[in-house]
Amino acid sequence: MKTETTGTPRFKIFSKPETQLASLIVTWTPDAGKVGSAVAECLHTKLDGFEFAEVEPIDFFPLDGVIVQDDVAQFPETKFYFCLRKNLLILKSDLPRSEWYEFLDTILSIVESTCKVKEIYVIGGMAAAIAHTTPRMLLAVANSSQTKRMIEHYDLVTDMEYETPEGQRPTLNSYLLWVAQRRGIPAVNLWVQVPFYLVACEDPQAWKKVLDFLNDRLELDLDFAELSNKISRQNQKIAQARIQHADLDSWLGRLEANLGLDTHESEKLIRKMEELLGQGD
Amino acid sequence: MGIVLYKEPELESPVLIACWPGIGNIGIIAVDTLRRMLKAEEFGEIEPWEFFYPKRVVIRDGVLKDLEFPSSRFYFKRTHKGDLLFFIGEEQPGTGAKIYAEGAKAYRMANLVVDVALKFGCRRIYTSGAAVAPVHHTANPRVWAVPNNESLLKELRRYENTIFMSDIEGRGGQGNITGLNGLLLGVAKKRGIDAVCLMGEIPIYLHGFPIPYPKGSKAVLEVLGTILGIPIDTTELEALIEQTEKEIEAIYRRLPVEIREQLDKLATTTYIRGAESGPITEEDKRRILQEIDKLFKKEESED
Repeated sequence: MKTETTGTPRFKIFSKPETQLASLIVTWTPDAGKVGSAVAECLHTKLDGFEFAEVEPIDFFPLDGVIVQDDVAQFPETKFYFCLRKNLLILKSDLPRSEWYEFLDTILSIVESTCKVKEIYVIGGMAAAIAHTTPRMLLAVANSSQTKRMIEHYDLVTDMEYETPEGQRPTLNSYLLWVAQRRGIPAVNLWVQVPFYLVACEDPQAWKKVLDFLNDRLELDLDFAELSNKISRQNQKIAQARIQHADLDSWLGRLEANLGLDTHESEKLIRKMEELLGQGD
Repeated sequence: MGIVLYKEPELESPVLIACWPGIGNIGIIAVDTLRRMLKAEEFGEIEPWEFFYPKRVVIRDGVLKDLEFPSSRFYFKRTHKGDLLFFIGEEQPGTGAKIYAEGAKAYRMANLVVDVALKFGCRRIYTSGAAVAPVHHTANPRVWAVPNNESLLKELRRYENTIFMSDIEGRGGQGNITGLNGLLLGVAKKRGIDAVCLMGEIPIYLHGFPIPYPKGSKAVLEVLGTILGIPIDTTELEALIEQTEKEIEAIYRRLPVEIREQLDKLATTTYIRGAESGPITEEDKRRILQEIDKLFKKEESED
């Protein structure tokens, strides 16, 4: 096992992946619709990923206790997995709470010190005022024009125009894109739409949208039949609830017709959907 | 990571005037007004990513074009009264929800600023901030001066409208200066440079308001102008003062009559030691702040 030697070890490398030109998939927890964690879990499981490195939490997370979630104590994790079959690296990490530049730099140092990274895909769910029955859009932001050219023939929205609004801050995904740009590593942020009322729940349709792109782009040859079943089950569950709850049906109907909801209605829809779907099935 | 200098101007024993945002933005408005008035030229910066989370991303046609961080810039100006360096920090490098810098990051940033001061042979550093005081907003703010070296006290005493912490009733010369505007004095002292913090008064009942208090900035700027021998044009500040006075008056009128009556006393009293009229009591102060706090909470819940 190798650790960084100066000061407190910032990361541990358990083994060196036998690869030279791997793609890296970066995912965060929490994420809207649980997109990041679900995509990482799916790839990791289907491609038999094994853990090869981790970042120590000490500089990046508040270690003043633990959070208990669903009766279980949680602890922040930043773990790297390697999927030998498809030459793929996966980073599953909690969102760091401090020293962001150091964190992102450490991530790239780990992957560059263990293998040469060909390209990075940073996954994120994005709340959208759409209905769950609407096909999800996958928006891509590249860190160079050359990188954009590599991906623009896929089913992606690649002409995004955006500036951080006053009073808000950029996402860590954008920050990572910039840090990669400084190191000359091609990187792409993939933002998938998540209906706003599914942000705290699961949105398997959004997961599949991301996975379909990765499957195609990285030639993973994966089958997502199981995930399609999960989408059908969720859709059926919501459809059943619409029959029983006229207000739910009315709100969703208006979203399907591209008519907005007011704040009060939106909040009620979110609550109702969280009651119905909980944290997942 | 650290300091980037785009050019290295030849300067003769300059004075460095450094500032970060703080209460009422008194210091930063004063220092930035002087910098702009003198048309000081930017010549360097502190690399931001070690200290700050980015503040803005710009994406054009699906490509990341820019990621902006809060700036920490150096400027210089040669004047016939002496050479000046400016350092303006757009934000204090804090952690989490804290507004003021503290700990390792703050110490490192203060040291980087002092590195530049030493590199250019600075003879003195001035910082600026706010002095929260039991004064009325219709009064002309005084300027509290805190040097990092006893030998500077005599000189500072000469400047009109300055007071020391020992002049304040009940303080016994004690107090603290929060954040980098204070920490820089300590780091400068440790590294052998004289430094002074000039703090414009802000009424105790306004220090929590998210509006600037340019009246305090003007007072600081006037003292700085005297110290540096530079005539100060306050036209721009006067306009800002007029605008904020209206906002302050509007807030003041919304306070309960009983509280306003208490606060009105501040217009005719002083907290300076040995003065004839006494300040409002600690009990009065406590009650006033409680009422203002209640008013804030009420407004927040109405938003």
